[in-house]
Amino acid sequence: MIRLECSSFAYDGGPVVLSGVDLAVEPGALVHVVGPSGSGKTTLARLLAGQTGAGNGAQFRGALTLGTDRLGFTGGPGDPRIDPAAWSSTVAYAAQRTEGQLSMMSATVAEEIAFGPANRGMPAGELRAAVQATAARLGLTDLLNRDPRRLSGGQLRRTIIAAAVVGNPRVLILDEPFQGLDADARAEVARTLEVLRAAGTALVICAPMLPGAAPGRSRVLALVSGRPVFDGTLGQARTAGLERYAIGTEGSAPDVLRDPRGWAAAAPASGFSVKAGGPLAELAGVSFSYRGEGTRGQAEVLRGVDLRVDPGDIVGLTGANGSGKSTLLQHLNGLLRASSGTVAVAGRPLGRRTATGRLAGAVGFLFQDTDQQLFERTVLREVAYGPAAAGAGREAAQGRARTALAAVGLGHAAGEHPYELGFVERRLVAFASLIASGPAVWVLDEPTAGLDLRGRNRVGELILGHAAAGGAVVLATHDGAFAGALCTRILELKDGRILSGGARRGAGGA
Amino acid sequence: MPRRRVFNPLTELLAAALLVVLVLVVNTWQFSLAVLVAAVVPGVLLSGKPRQIALAIAVTAGPLLLSSFLLHGLFFPEGTTVLAEWGPARVTAEGLQFAALTGLRLAVFTGVLLTAALTVSIPELVSTLTHRGWNRRLVFVVGSAVGLLPHVAERARRITRAQQARGLVVGGSVPSRVRGLLMVSVPLVTGLLIDAAERTQLLEARGFSSPGPRTSYLPDTDTAGQRTARWLLAAGVLGFACAWYAVGAGR
Repeated sequence: MIRLECSSFAYDGGPVVLSGVDLAVEPGALVHVVGPSGSGKTTLARLLAGQTGAGNGAQFRGALTLGTDRLGFTGGPGDPRIDPAAWSSTVAYAAQRTEGQLSMMSATVAEEIAFGPANRGMPAGELRAAVQATAARLGLTDLLNRDPRRLSGGQLRRTIIAAAVVGNPRVLILDEPFQGLDADARAEVARTLEVLRAAGTALVICAPMLPGAAPGRSRVLALVSGRPVFDGTLGQARTAGLERYAIGTEGSAPDVLRDPRGWAAAAPASGFSVKAGGPLAELAGVSFSYRGEGTRGQAEVLRGVDLRVDPGDIVGLTGANGSGKSTLLQHLNGLLRASSGTVAVAGRPLGRRTATGRLAGAVGFLFQDTDQQLFERTVLREVAYGPAAAGAGREAAQGRARTALAAVGLGHAAGEHPYELGFVERRLVAFASLIASGPAVWVLDEPTAGLDLRGRNRVGELILGHAAAGGAVVLATHDGAFAGALCTRILELKDGRILSGGARRGAGGA
Repeated sequence: MPRRRVFNPLTELLAAALLVVLVLVVNTWQFSLAVLVAAVVPGVLLSGKPRQIALAIAVTAGPLLLSSFLLHGLFFPEGTTVLAEWGPARVTAEGLQFAALTGLRLAVFTGVLLTAALTVSIPELVSTLTHRGWNRRLVFVVGSAVGLLPHVAERARRITRAQQARGLVVGGSVPSRVRGLLMVSVPLVTGLLIDAAERTQLLEARGFSSPGPRTSYLPDTDTAGQRTARWLLAAGVLGFACAWYAVGAGR
């Protein structure tokens, strides 16, 4: 069907990022390409999608076979060029980042799905039928008239997949289709993919971890540092000891050091001070409703929430999408202000006029969306931004930044541009930025989303270390295993209320 | 309440542009006033969002109108008929007339163009241009420019919030606001460039540069009558302009 033989691939003048790969995808197959961040998954996905980088100075040595056509590449200027439009009619590709995946010319999901066939001149009647049929197959019929720029994460992924498969390609390549999605959205996307596979579309799914649930006969290709380290069935992969390559399984508990001395070593001396006695943060009777366009009336997102966060607490917030988790978190650092009730941070009540920026030293916030919180030219400047904004001198700020980077395991990346790093590293840079400001309270929105095994374990240890040192952590997560292993309290939010009181547990879930 | 659409967006945009041309050609305050009263004001009132458009007009044209009246009304060197005088400032009839002429013209321009721009349905426009077989890249520029704007605004807002959470204090003094703006622009532009690079590949893969005719998901709302009307309107205005200048030159 399609076969990639890659003896070596390097981006413009760079080191070899993929080599020794021979991957043949049969019709109707399901292939999982797994590997930690930076292992060459995206490069492999792009090659399968026909993006050999010939015009951008990339050097690809190997061959691509589609059906009976074999294209050989030597890395020279005489290499064949692939027509992306023709290639994508057989091999469709959905890239990792969703932002660049919308044509930006469509006002509705229907037009977005129709974009490809319309460019190829499909007659209007057929076009409508194709869009309706694809939407019906993938459960998108209710979304057809929605603005694609205003969809939730799962809806957007499914729209992009629908736009990729509307021409009935025989293979679909997906680069981290579940990244940044919560459990419900994951399930939505997984159902979509199952529908496609049942209809005979071959799927190649690139992800940092082995899937938690998938047919045991599906194939797994594991990559580490651009080389294959395992090729077999999923059943075999589960017992092949891939953990030694930092390839875990979705939904498993994080493997954090149980020894508190290990946490202390992982936790940087972020230098926060805690006043003895009182809570670090407290919400009392907080209600909140969004105003303005897009909401009908004044739907209350939070209804009378009480939350007390003491030193040593690791509070996990769980609940379905729209239950108010992110909204609650944003009250802790003043990004949102309660409609009624009070919020106090470090013993001081938050007034209407307290600038959010002034709270950064007391409460650190990790957003769900990483890329929109990185804005400096180098990783070091990025992480030093917080301490510098709080008034530390340049030397002192950079010193704290280096400590924080070492704590997340990125001491070597200080001079790089944040955008040149992989997703997991960017996420850890955002984490280091939070740590460097030295806040006593860490507020984390989906801290483990999209992380690989190593990153997830590292974040777990940092959280435990921070709590052990007398800080507190409030995190919203859909990663039940992670919350179960770490949190001292787990609170379930539903319709803006805290459902379960959350019995206090020992740190580390003991 | 959305406005009931009467004409195809292309017809509406052309009518707006021709109206502006007419006002420029005729160039008398009486004609500008007539267009304002007979076309612009009803247009704004019937647009379905009169408040939004009125606000946009006030924000863009307001300061210009005010300064024009102060400048020409009080200091018009060619003015001879003095109505009032305070030191160096003289209110002259000619000055007021000139101010009325430029002010009315400006009001017509902003009124016509803003009403057209704020009410036009971009998807319908893009679909019409596709159906009419216009250049694909031009259509993309029209469509994506408008499609990107809300996206960019939302992104800028998220970046600002992330920066505030990291200790950026926005507000108060002007330098602080300028600094805040600069801080937002770097990640905003970087992110948009990365998106653009990825989008280029996506567009290629989805046949954006494929040769041959294209189709559109939206039905063609243009009619043969409107197409004829557009040609007639354009020809009519052109003919009128030529005649107007010829008569003016002969006088």
